[in-house]
Amino acid sequence: MRASGAIAMNAERAGEVRIHSESDIVATRRTVRTAATQLGFGLTDVTRIVTAASELARNIFLYAGSGIMRWEALDTGGRIGIELTFEDRGPGITDIEQAMEAGYTSGGGLGMGLPGAKRLMDEFEIASEIGKGTIVTAKKWHRRLGDSTS
Amino acid sequence: MADESISVVKVRDVLMVTMPADPDDASVSALQMKVLQMMEQYEATGLVLDISAVETLDSFFARTVAETAQMASLMGGRTVIAGMRPSVAITATQLGLTLGSAMTALDVDRALDTLTDAGQRGNSHER
Amino acid sequence: MEHPDGQDRQAEVTVLEWEQRKDFVGFTDDDALLLRDLCSLSEAYADEVVEELYRQFLRFDETKAFFPDDATLNRVKALQKEYFLGLTGGDYGQEYLANRLHVGRVHQRIGLSPRWYIGAYSIYMQAVIPRLIGAFGSDPKKAQRTIVALLKIIELDQELAITTYIAASEAVIARQSREILEISTPVVQVWEGVIAAPLIGMLDTERAQQFMERLLTRVVETRSSVALVDITGVPMVDSRTAQHLLEAIAAVRLLGAQLVLTGVRPTIAQTLVHLGIDLEGVVTRASLEAGLRFAMESMHLQDGSRNGRQ
Repeated sequence: MRASGAIAMNAERAGEVRIHSESDIVATRRTVRTAATQLGFGLTDVTRIVTAASELARNIFLYAGSGIMRWEALDTGGRIGIELTFEDRGPGITDIEQAMEAGYTSGGGLGMGLPGAKRLMDEFEIASEIGKGTIVTAKKWHRRLGDSTS
Repeated sequence: MADESISVVKVRDVLMVTMPADPDDASVSALQMKVLQMMEQYEATGLVLDISAVETLDSFFARTVAETAQMASLMGGRTVIAGMRPSVAITATQLGLTLGSAMTALDVDRALDTLTDAGQRGNSHER
Repeated sequence: MEHPDGQDRQAEVTVLEWEQRKDFVGFTDDDALLLRDLCSLSEAYADEVVEELYRQFLRFDETKAFFPDDATLNRVKALQKEYFLGLTGGDYGQEYLANRLHVGRVHQRIGLSPRWYIGAYSIYMQAVIPRLIGAFGSDPKKAQRTIVALLKIIELDQELAITTYIAASEAVIARQSREILEISTPVVQVWEGVIAAPLIGMLDTERAQQFMERLLTRVVETRSSVALVDITGVPMVDSRTAQHLLEAIAAVRLLGAQLVLTGVRPTIAQTLVHLGIDLEGVVTRASLEAGLRFAMESMHLQDGSRNGRQ
């Protein structure tokens, strides 16, 4: 079932979750789920977006200790989308290309985060500076031909 | 907070775990230890993970499940994941997640059937 | 503003874009003031102009058809007058935008194409310009600036009308395409515990996604152990299509069922091998029939062993 299309005048169009502890990963999932559902994404797309957010939030918690997730509704040329930004002041990523290769781990046995999130979203950008931090931006747009019917 | 919301029930010699909709990392990790302890305690030969309520299955969850299946297998038990939702299955596939040696079943009934079958009739994910 | 289907209610043109459009044609606050100054004048000639317009509408069969009776005609004339007065209302912000967008949607819904109501704007201008020039007789410069302002706002209105018309039409097309997709890839239950889905034509990403969702949902709904996906009707398999099929196979397996690929013709088999696709663990059969036989055998074996236990 689709949420009734339009972004109501007083519905939220943006939000954020501060990521300090493990329980904030769940908070991120919940916030993103509500946002994506409100924006009219179908169930499978909502699941993709939430899962990508979960991976990226966990990355922040594990590698940077703390950071912030922001979401924003997108509305260009009549097409609705959602933008997620994950920002931290952590150690940064030494080799982004390597990190993006599926299965790459830096100890801790977690290699899915970045490449996995990229696969689930439509647009994916990552900027990182050693010692300064990392910003990951991911977007997903409503699919053409209407949303999922599941 | 850790394992309060995840129930583990013994049904004959199978352990039945009902996962809540959105468990946090700590609960999932705690569950692994709890399951293994109970497997030893009751000499269980099977483990059913009912994920019909689960809305998000990310790499952490999948990895923990795969590990648990492997550990359970070392302790003499087979693992079946039951009731995965279509949206979760599609996302997990796109993400490239594997469940290790865990088998899958449409629901808890079928899962129990699988575990009491003589042959390996279930859908194993092991290659 | 309610769209009858309740779908696609996002604004076809956002407030930001509206401002950009006004910027592009050079519609400024000065123009707005000039138009507001026209207010009393346009109220004076509004009725006459509407009459001229509808005289024209009633001359042509295609437009006459929209006014089957006097009640409808009068109601529409009243709305039309309101619309024209809106052009000189002096306020061209968010409310104005919303109002004009609504008009476009209504026209699409009743099937009045832009050809006619764009034409109406022309008739409006032909009726209005002489009156304007007459009214500003002593100040031709002001007449000119006012006419230009009027042209700008009418041009903006036309843009909006076309945009919403196209958007509403596309929404209809999208919905119909979705329905066609559903009809063309049916998933039917052929036996207890077995569903079959014949795939016909090429499988692009969008179609593959839709197909997977429906297939998995049906597996759960029918509690099936086997899903037969027949690709006899798929002319060609490229690596992308093969990838989609593999994903579907993996996803069905995660549910606890088995996807059997049937109708694998020699050319497809060749392609799959050449592409290096790993079909390890995937059950394939040459025909749907063979697939069904396999399904029943595997279920029978399952039941057999279970019954044996009792």
